[in-house]
Amino acid sequence: MLQNNHFYARYKKFGRAKYISHLDMVRVFNRVFRRGGIPIAYSEGFNPHPKISFALPLSVFYESECEIMLFSVTESISTDELLERFSTVMPEGLEVIEVKEGKPDVKHLSYCLYNVYCNMPTQSQLDAFLNLGSMIVPKKTKSGIKDTDIRGDITDIKIEDGYMTMLLSAGSQANLKPDVVIKAMNKYIESYNSGDCEYLRKSIYTNDMVEI
Amino acid sequence: MLNIDNILKNVQKPSAYTGGELNSVVKNPDTVKIRYGFCFPDTYEVGMSHLGIKILYHVLNERNDTWCERVFAPWIDMEEEMRRTNTPLFALESRESVRHFDFLGFTLQYEMCYTNILNMLDLAGIPLLASERKEGDPFINAGGPCAYNPEPLAEICDFFTMGEGEEVINELMDAYIEWKNEGGKRIDYLKKIAKIEGIYVPCLYDVEYNEDNTIKSFTPNCPEAPAKVTKRIIKELDSVSFPDKFIVPYTNIVHDRISIEVFRGCIRGCRFCQAGMIYRPVREKSYKTLTNDAIKLINSTGYEELSLCSLSTSDYTEFPQLAEELLKVTEKEKIGLSLPSLRVDNFSLDLMEKVQKVRKSGLTFAPEAGTQRMRDVINKNVTEEDLLRSARLAFEGGWTTIKLYFMIGLPYETDEDILGIADLAHKVVEEYYKVSKNKKRPPSVNIGVSSFVPKPFTPFEWAMQNTREELRRKQQLLKNAITNRHVKYSYHESDVSVLEGIFARGDRRLNRVLIEAHKLGCKFDSWNETFDIEKWNEAFKNADVNPDFYVRERDYADLFPWDFVNIGVTREFLKRENEKAKEAATTPNCREKCSACGANTLCEGGKCSVTK
Repeated sequence: MLQNNHFYARYKKFGRAKYISHLDMVRVFNRVFRRGGIPIAYSEGFNPHPKISFALPLSVFYESECEIMLFSVTESISTDELLERFSTVMPEGLEVIEVKEGKPDVKHLSYCLYNVYCNMPTQSQLDAFLNLGSMIVPKKTKSGIKDTDIRGDITDIKIEDGYMTMLLSAGSQANLKPDVVIKAMNKYIESYNSGDCEYLRKSIYTNDMVEI
Repeated sequence: MLNIDNILKNVQKPSAYTGGELNSVVKNPDTVKIRYGFCFPDTYEVGMSHLGIKILYHVLNERNDTWCERVFAPWIDMEEEMRRTNTPLFALESRESVRHFDFLGFTLQYEMCYTNILNMLDLAGIPLLASERKEGDPFINAGGPCAYNPEPLAEICDFFTMGEGEEVINELMDAYIEWKNEGGKRIDYLKKIAKIEGIYVPCLYDVEYNEDNTIKSFTPNCPEAPAKVTKRIIKELDSVSFPDKFIVPYTNIVHDRISIEVFRGCIRGCRFCQAGMIYRPVREKSYKTLTNDAIKLINSTGYEELSLCSLSTSDYTEFPQLAEELLKVTEKEKIGLSLPSLRVDNFSLDLMEKVQKVRKSGLTFAPEAGTQRMRDVINKNVTEEDLLRSARLAFEGGWTTIKLYFMIGLPYETDEDILGIADLAHKVVEEYYKVSKNKKRPPSVNIGVSSFVPKPFTPFEWAMQNTREELRRKQQLLKNAITNRHVKYSYHESDVSVLEGIFARGDRRLNRVLIEAHKLGCKFDSWNETFDIEKWNEAFKNADVNPDFYVRERDYADLFPWDFVNIGVTREFLKRENEKAKEAATTPNCREKCSACGANTLCEGGKCSVTK
């Protein structure tokens, strides 16, 4: 048997697929590999499972243009061939846009850029918000939901045409999701109401702001 | 398309309501003549696990003129959101209201789903009673095992399909298109299909009752309706169209795997078992066809597990060949093969070693009764020796957990039979210590005890059902008799069993009870968290129906609500079997000796596949 070859695929998650939970994604891809006849590597042991992992979990209800799945195969196969096979067997709302050989720099994953579609604050409201020294909101942590200061994990927020962009800390050290930021904005910006929001993950970066 | 994005944010399992799963069928509504909503009156996770829905979905969508979509009962949280936002019941594929579909077809897999049917109709804005539906309203039909006694739903459904749906459903669709072209009234369609074999249209029959509420007469009220409705069966299972694609859900469902149907019917003839009678005669698929089905489905779904579906896998005549062929495929594709309803012997244990590369999970046996006399009464042809030998084989093979299924409340049962359950469980534990090499690791013997529910079309259809007090007494008796700490005991809620029995052998008067129960908010009655016996007691009171009436022992001379249905198996056979049960006399299985049950009359030339 050939040594395991490492690859990673960048894929979009959109439309009805945004309701698929992170846990369900492993199952979804396991079936994608089998349908596509992609020779995925399995773990050893009594209960072998396909070697699949994800760069950064995506919450339910979020869409994304930059999800990354890492996998290994047991036979030599080209990235073009992999892309071709993915394209025929992906379910609705999931689309592989790129396959690369090797491993991405997940170790240094530090930031994430999101688009948030909601009611806009004014520029001066946003400026005042970003000037706050601290923002305390309930946030899910490893030890349950706790009041947390999230200011340090907001790098930047910009108002664009009909949406905001948010550059936030991401990864295993510090991770902030834009729905928590929206909670803070609703709390701290007077007479502001975001209304229902839609979230789109645009790109993920290393600590040196290199796109992964 | 309804916009449900915002309400999906407030429910636990949004992907049960989105549709869009792989292999779901989307058609252009403008190019089809029939919109069919296949309704499963339970949650997505339960309904999507059901093989019948996959088969009928496939058969209907093979037609260019028909679009069949799936409809499930929304779970409590989703229903709240739907009612709050005035979102009607919708079909998953189109996400359109089912209010103006041509058909809604419900599958009746268990009696305790009946209130969900009413709740779904209510959510759809469709009148609950067939008599209140107008021209342009959907036709509500129902099929499946519980449809063999359709009477408790006779005022709610427009018609019922008796037997195997894929055999008759195309005739119903063809008749619908004909009727549309003729420009007839609603009643004209119903009269038209009443002439199709296997179709029962309740409004075309009148019921008269005796003073004691038993049935006096049951007669057609128009020439189109036959006095007897004979169930439909697929005669050649091997050549019938089986889906080459299954819908692959995003979220986890109860049976999340490929299921291939090995055979229909059963050669065993256990006297409590309705499935064993209503699905007769036995018809098998060839192992070559099954292997083909499996390969196609693996390729189209990518599923990681394959399961065989039948009432008793070991009775499949080509089982060794099938196992060999399937193992070739599953090993190559790294797919788990699960083999339910397998008798434990050397062959099957070897096979399980091969397929269960995973850790040795529990093995399940179903002796059903605790004493030999009682097993003879129910014609469960398993001896204590058989069971202990199987347990010994399993323990020697390294299994430590064994599950045993029993029933209490069986006809002709004594307390000795109840205590026998504990005895048998203790003997299984002893067997473990006789053969186990690792004595430090204790065995785990789990006994699951359900309460027997007498069902129509079984030799016990005349039997008195135990009251809830009697069932509770027996449950306690057994509990106190279990002295070994390695035996774990679990049992079913007796209120649910009694209610199930009432509806299983119920009549038309129960429609009123169902409507009342629905008004009081009964739904998901097979779920512990939602079942409420108080509401049911009130519903019976409001409808002025005495539930005890349905629990009673019946007389051979009684006219049953389901007597107009011909399932092949005859009343005379069932009577003979009941008489043998009283004597604790067994009946050999169909391969050993034909017992002339009557199911052969449904076969080509009257020849049953088992004996020919």
